[in-house]
This record gives sequence, structure tokens and C-alpha cells, in this order.
Amino acid sequence: MARMKFLCDADRCIECNACVTACKNEHEVPWGINRRRVVTLNDGKPGERSVSMACMHCTDAPCAAVCPVNCFYTTADAVVLHSKDICIGCGYCFYACPFGAPQYPKVGNFGSRGKMDKCTYCAGGPEADFSTIEYEKYGSNRLAEGKLPLCAEMCSTKALLAGDGEMIAQIYKERVVKRGYGSGAWGWKTAYRETIAI
Amino acid sequence: MKVFVMSVAAAVALAVAASFLLNENQKFAYEAFATSGARVSEPGTNLVGPKWNGETTEPSGKKHGA
Amino acid sequence: MRRGMTLFRTIVVATALAAAVPAMAQQTRDGLNPTGQNPTADSVTEEFLFKQEPKIGGRVSIPDGKSANLIQPQGREYQAFREGWLPWIGGIAVLGILGLLTAFFLLRGRIALDDPGPDTGKKILRFNSFERFAHWMTATCFIILSLSGLNYIFGKRLLMPLIGPEAFGTLSQWAKYSHLYLAWPFMLGIAIMLIVWLKDNIPEKLDWEWIKAGGGLIGRGHPHAKRFNAGQKVVFWMVVGFGAAMSVTGVVMMFPFAVTDINGMQVTQVIHSLIGVVFIAGILAHIYIGSIGMEGAYDAMGSGKVDLGWAKSHHDLWVEEQQAKNASVAQLGTRQVPAE
Repeated sequence: MARMKFLCDADRCIECNACVTACKNEHEVPWGINRRRVVTLNDGKPGERSVSMACMHCTDAPCAAVCPVNCFYTTADAVVLHSKDICIGCGYCFYACPFGAPQYPKVGNFGSRGKMDKCTYCAGGPEADFSTIEYEKYGSNRLAEGKLPLCAEMCSTKALLAGDGEMIAQIYKERVVKRGYGSGAWGWKTAYRETIAI
Repeated sequence: MKVFVMSVAAAVALAVAASFLLNENQKFAYEAFATSGARVSEPGTNLVGPKWNGETTEPSGKKHGA
Repeated sequence: MRRGMTLFRTIVVATALAAAVPAMAQQTRDGLNPTGQNPTADSVTEEFLFKQEPKIGGRVSIPDGKSANLIQPQGREYQAFREGWLPWIGGIAVLGILGLLTAFFLLRGRIALDDPGPDTGKKILRFNSFERFAHWMTATCFIILSLSGLNYIFGKRLLMPLIGPEAFGTLSQWAKYSHLYLAWPFMLGIAIMLIVWLKDNIPEKLDWEWIKAGGGLIGRGHPHAKRFNAGQKVVFWMVVGFGAAMSVTGVVMMFPFAVTDINGMQVTQVIHSLIGVVFIAGILAHIYIGSIGMEGAYDAMGSGKVDLGWAKSHHDLWVEEQQAKNASVAQLGTRQVPAE
């Protein structure tokens, strides 16, 4: 099986937020919850770069480790998913997540924040594939249809790459060789404890 | 024993009161992270609804796209 | 003059263009920028940003400040603490104190009412109903809070395999509600106990003598003590100190990101959990000595009235004080009536 990863080529990202919009629409993500976001570094200064960030589906995922109710599981494709039936909304996964991926329907007190929501790599959840309940809780399941996450598919500059880690790393390496520069695979060291040598 | 029962009752009563007060101040993400920018629909109304249970009637009663 | 100026300008432009030609020729070659610069040298990299700040953040168009954080590797450190250290620290603290108490019980046994003097059988009011109310309100809250708190650490390890994930999820949800809501009566109880018992818990010279004499725990005799001996004062200050620390960190966590950022939240959680397990260990010792550890001690919080013989040997100076007070009250004709 593939080891699914995300890679954002910051030298290509133009902060168009198409990935954010695609994700919002595909999964009917409510207002105030962002499974994916674009963060601009050095905004308005020389060397400005934008990075599209969502759940990176980490190796030895910190969220899964710290969860007090073990509601996370990793699929055969190394996608980190969780069960909203077991989640208690404690927010520990947000503290552990290096990428700020977990989101909660309510923001106030810790006691009743609702079930955590995060990027599913367009892979749904523990419910039966393509079921209504799966869609309502986790959004659509494109991976089961043989499709990759919509954010990467919709990326206007193909900055955001999704797919098997080795394949996207290869694509990125070729790009860097071709154009002669690259700012690296953002977050890979923290998420996968490895990075792409460029 | 009477004092013990009273103390437990008081603890429960205070906890219930605290729960009401805390939930009174609870905010939905769409309220907390909203701007005055342009909106095409009422925040919180979409397919899954603000509570993520498929109930889309809250908070305004407007259906998505209606 | 004007013509000369124009000529000069033309020469300047021509020179500049001539210089630019080789650079433009390079545009066709892969991997080189037309200006001859390497954009990688200018662009920000993760490595460079991590040298400046421990975490990387920028600007987002979302009105949620937290989402402006791009990468915070401290999450991995938090993971290492919560999953690597905390279960061990918590397990050793709780099981360790239980082991120590068992060993103490086996060695010392139950501390008995060893000198049944002439006063044994008579009763004296030690804690009035309000004091007992505050104590038991805090105590019941503490038990639920500690169990639901330990559930965050050990529930998935011990309870989840037994009852299954769904049942455990539901139970944990209710445990979380109880943890959050019972925290308030707990905090109130701590505040009441602080006010009611502060005056009897100021450390003094007598406490040092009590400790030197072994406090009646190790030796056989009973050193002098007022209303609270040094050991009880330690428990009082532990409850007040840890209670305050747990309250502050707890309230900070109850309203996530209201006062601090992500790293602050992580540190708060670490403090809350560490103090929590030590607090539980301390209270286990308190429960031991107040119940099976010492004969006659439970009555103080049970019915509020203790055996006069027990009181005279354990809190001799306090009994004298109380009797002197009662005697003076009796002279006025209104004998102090126990509240219950």
C-alpha cells in the first residue's frame, strides 16, 4: 500500500486558497472550521512564501498518541483518521498537533466543544464507505473512489501535491532540479521525521 | 451522614449551575471566527449543520440555498 | 550640452544592455535565474525559520489566530511527555504511595487509642457541621475529579480494553463533564476550607517539636499539639497550595487559548497533570491516616465529635483551650451546644 502524504511546494503556492475552498465545498465543512488553510510567511516582505497546511497524516501521529480515548486509527494508506463517536472533544490532539489541524465546532469551554474535526485526506471515517452518515460526519470519501484529495487536485499551480510519499517526493525533486531551487518540504521533518534532500 | 449527603447535594447543585453558566458562554466556531465580510449563506447552515449531526435548522432556521 | 547629455544616456543604456545580454542568454539554461541570482538563497526555509523562532507562524485570512501557526514541533515534545513520561510518573506516584501506606500499615499497624484514660467515652466537638460540609463537598469532588483525571492518562490503557471503545468513549465523555463541572464546587470548597481553618494552620515552633518527636506516627508518645498538628498543617497547606495551582491551571485549560497560546496550553496541561498525580498521592495518605490508619480519627469528620481521651492525647493543647472556652461560656449561662 501507498504511504499517503501531502507536500506543499511553497515556491509555487500563490495563496489563491483554492485548496481551502475545494475542501470546504467537498466536505460541507461548516463556517469557522478549516480543515485546510494557507499560511503566508513574511507577508509583504521579500522572501514571502505561502504554505497550504492541513493534517499531515504524521508518522507516529502525536494526536493519536495523546488521545485519552484512542479515537484515532491509521489506515493501510497511512492516513490518520478518527472516530467522532468515541471522541470526547478534550482538545489534547490540538495541543499535540504540530500543524494545528484539529478543529472543534465550539470554541468556548473545554467541557462541551463537540466532536473534533480534521482533514481526512478525503478518506471519510470509520463508517461504511459512501454512506450518508459517513458524509455527514467526515465528508466525502474520494480515496475509496480511487481519487486523491480534492485540495491537491484543485491546486491551480500544482503546488500542493498529494499521493504516495515517494512519488510526490520524486516529483518535487525533479522540479527542484529543473528550476534550480526549492524551499523544501514544509513540515515533513516534524510529520514524517524525514525530509527531501534537495 | 446528614452533612455528607448535604455536601454531595451541594456539589451536584453547584456543578449543574456551573454547567449552565459555562454553556451559556459557549460559542460556536462560526460565531467566534466570523468577520463582517460578505456572506452567501447563514453561517452554521450547511449539509451537516453546526452540531455536525445533519440538523441544519439551527441557528436561523434558514435552509441552505433557500 | 543637451545633445551631449543624450549621448551620455545612450552610452549608459547601451552598456547596461550589453552587460545584460549574457544574463539573458542564460535564461534558456535550466536551473538558473535570469538575474543570475539563486532564489533559494532569498526564500525562507523551514530550517532558517526554526533557527529564529521555535515555531513557524505567518498570516492567514481566517479570523482564528491559532490557525496562523504553521508548524509547532513542540507538539512532539508534548506527545513525548504525555505518552512517555506521564503514565510512568502517575503510575509510580499512585502505586508508590499505596505501596508505602501498605508497608506502613503492616509495620506500624493501626494507631490505637493506647491510653484509655478516665475521659474515654466522653465526646468533644472537633468539627462543626459547616466545617464537615466544606470538607466533604471538597472530598467528594476530589474523588470524582481524581478518577476522571486519571482516566485521561490511564483510561485507555486499563479501562478501554475491558469495556470496549464505544462504552469507554461515552464514559469518558461523562467523566469529562464531571471533571469540568465538579471543579467549581471543588474550588469553592478549597476557598471555604482556607478561610475556616487558616487561623489554626499557621506554622509555629510547636510544629517543629511535633516533627522532632515523630508526631506519634513513628514513636509511641503523643507530642503536644493544638487544633492541628504539623502533619495536618502539611495536609492543609498541600490542599490549599495544590488546590490553588490546580484551579488556576484548570481554569486556564477550561477556556482554551483565552489567556495563552498553544505552547502555554501545553505547559499548563503538563503542570496540571503533574501536580494532579502528586495531589492524588498526598490525599491517599490523608485518607489512610484519617480512616484505617488511626483509631478514633475518622469520627472527627464523620460525626464531628471525637473521643475526649483521643483528643487529649492527640490535641492536648486544643482540648485545654476548648474546655477553658466552654467553662467561660458556661459561666455566662449559655453552654455551647454542638451544632448537631
